[in-house]
Amino acid sequence: MILVIGDTNDITTNIAMEWIRHYTKNVKRINFSDYTPLDSLKITNQNCTTKIASIDTSEVEKIWHRRGSIRFLPITLRNANSSLYTYLKKEEDSLLKSLEDILGDTKEYIGSYHKEVENYKIDYLLKAKDCGIRIPDTLITTSKKELQSFFNTYDQIITKDIRYGIKIKAQDSGIYSGGTFVVSEDMITSMKKHFAPTLVQEKIEKKYEIRVFFFKTTLYPMAILSQNDSKTSVDYRNYNREKPNRNVPVLFPKHIEQQILNFIKRSGLSTGSIDLIVDKADDYIFLEVNPQGQLDWVSKHCNYYIEKNIAEYLVFK
Amino acid sequence: MNVQQETPFKLIANCIPVKGAKRSSICDLHRGSIQLIPNDLYELIKNREGSSIIEIKKKYDHKYDTIIDEYFEFLIDHEFIFFTATPELFPKMSMNWYQPNTITNAIIDVGKQSDYNIYHALENLNELRCKHVEFRFFKKISLEEIKTIVEFLVDIKSSIISIDFTIPFDNDFEIETIQNFMSTNGRVSSFRYYGGHENKFISPIDNRRGYIIITDTIISNEKCCGIIDSSLFSVNISTFTESQKFNSCLNRKISIDANGHIKNCPSMMKSYGNITAINLNEVVEQKEFKKYWNISKDKINVCKDCEFRHVCTDCRAYIENPANIYSKPLKCGYDPYTNTWEDWSKNPLKSKAIEYYGLQE
Ligand code: SF4
Repeated sequence: MILVIGDTNDITTNIAMEWIRHYTKNVKRINFSDYTPLDSLKITNQNCTTKIASIDTSEVEKIWHRRGSIRFLPITLRNANSSLYTYLKKEEDSLLKSLEDILGDTKEYIGSYHKEVENYKIDYLLKAKDCGIRIPDTLITTSKKELQSFFNTYDQIITKDIRYGIKIKAQDSGIYSGGTFVVSEDMITSMKKHFAPTLVQEKIEKKYEIRVFFFKTTLYPMAILSQNDSKTSVDYRNYNREKPNRNVPVLFPKHIEQQILNFIKRSGLSTGSIDLIVDKADDYIFLEVNPQGQLDWVSKHCNYYIEKNIAEYLVFK
Repeated sequence: MNVQQETPFKLIANCIPVKGAKRSSICDLHRGSIQLIPNDLYELIKNREGSSIIEIKKKYDHKYDTIIDEYFEFLIDHEFIFFTATPELFPKMSMNWYQPNTITNAIIDVGKQSDYNIYHALENLNELRCKHVEFRFFKKISLEEIKTIVEFLVDIKSSIISIDFTIPFDNDFEIETIQNFMSTNGRVSSFRYYGGHENKFISPIDNRRGYIIITDTIISNEKCCGIIDSSLFSVNISTFTESQKFNSCLNRKISIDANGHIKNCPSMMKSYGNITAINLNEVVEQKEFKKYWNISKDKINVCKDCEFRHVCTDCRAYIENPANIYSKPLKCGYDPYTNTWEDWSKNPLKSKAIEYYGLQE
């Protein structure tokens, strides 16, 4: 049996499910926004068995963990503002982590909730560097002096989050950002001598960006041609609606492809998507990886049929 | 973007040139628009993609430098090309088209005479895992009745993700009521009111998807369908790739006409049984039922020479020569050999077919 962990409105889960069902009836789907009963996770001195939503997991051969996680907390307990929820969620998370390990031991488990939660940019930068892929020079600091001298070293620097996109709830508004922006001299001047840990990187003049979705060892790279447009020249996620960036299929030079495959292996990731840039000298620079990254528009714009390929892997391989 | 004379140019992979008899088009499948180009430019792109402008100019002994510059200005303006020193790293987009389900779209017609059970039909469509349904009512219908249909789909957790309603205009019509209805019922993608006092397009609210069209045309039966017009071109990857090998209207379609007859399209003569007597999946299994699905534009007379052939929705129900299933759609007024559009219904050469189908006004 194939088990898919996705979400109700996730287009990728929906399309892939159509394909899986086209090939087999032997599939079950679990949605992040639903409540999934945990019938039992039973550990005795003889063995360890699990039954989730009436599915005996010993019958499951492959798990594709596309998005979110299983949610064992009944919906009535999910009041995001209560401290009870914060506690219960922590407990649930640790259970999910163990469960992922237990299931991953006996069957093929593709995708991961825990890799998504623990998506530490610095760790992956180091891994990429170890695999021989260029990375932007990076500084994490709490000191204005260090920041200033880093700033002085490069033509331009950018900043982005270390792990979590900015999501700060204020009384009647909030500050939200998941993107990247350029750091100006003025910004630095206005900062105090010491501040919370902040990540900055040299800004690399790019020819184009590449978003590559990977599933196992298959790479689906898409080039995002955005340089002509000041709105998107830092981070393509700052979309331009009128003239959207051109997105086209692209190939990696052989040695870069090998480095990327090495990186994937080294990170222990079975699926995800990687952002890279190609600079003016045709160097490939690793930016970040998203273990539960989107693939919908990579598939659509390049006519890759990724969802179909995933389904075929799950059913036939 | 600036012109780079010395760097090779590459076409954006999802902007695809299509050659016609007298001129060509570039179908921008990403932004959903189409631009017309001379066949010379088509040839230039086809034969010289991957070369630099300088090389191209040299190839033509610098005889056409001004024209070549103009061509490239146009291509750059529309962002159809980019310059790259590594053109070999930018492959063409695959032209494959796949679909997991045998039926993807359906038309359900309801008239005064209809006595079949629509709910039964919807259950049948769900079994086929159909995605889109167009309901056409040739009689008055209340919003309450429409609600019941939509709620039924929710109840059975139907595979149908989009429904379009074509219904007669009613003086009680209120934009807001309909917009609210669509925003609370995600499956409903549009309402088209015919027989109104004006022609009007009402965009969806807040970037959502439900839109409303009001037209003053009267749609009293299925004979109104099959019109080919540039406003109906569908410029996207899915239609473009599907049309390479399949019919761009009839492929994976099933219909129930107002009398309950199961057909590929309600306007076609051939019925494969009545929904009161036979289930849709039994019909789909008949090989004969799918006989039009593989009639791609490349097999159709005239269309095969048309620069719009991969964005144009075909029609096999009304064709110029009813005796030849490969003849051009009757209701197309375009002539790719002269690049002119005319009113198809006034073309004397078409009068016989018009009479044959009983389409006279
Ligand atoms: S000639 Fe054929 S392809 Fe061209 S517009 Fe008419 S129907 Fe469409």
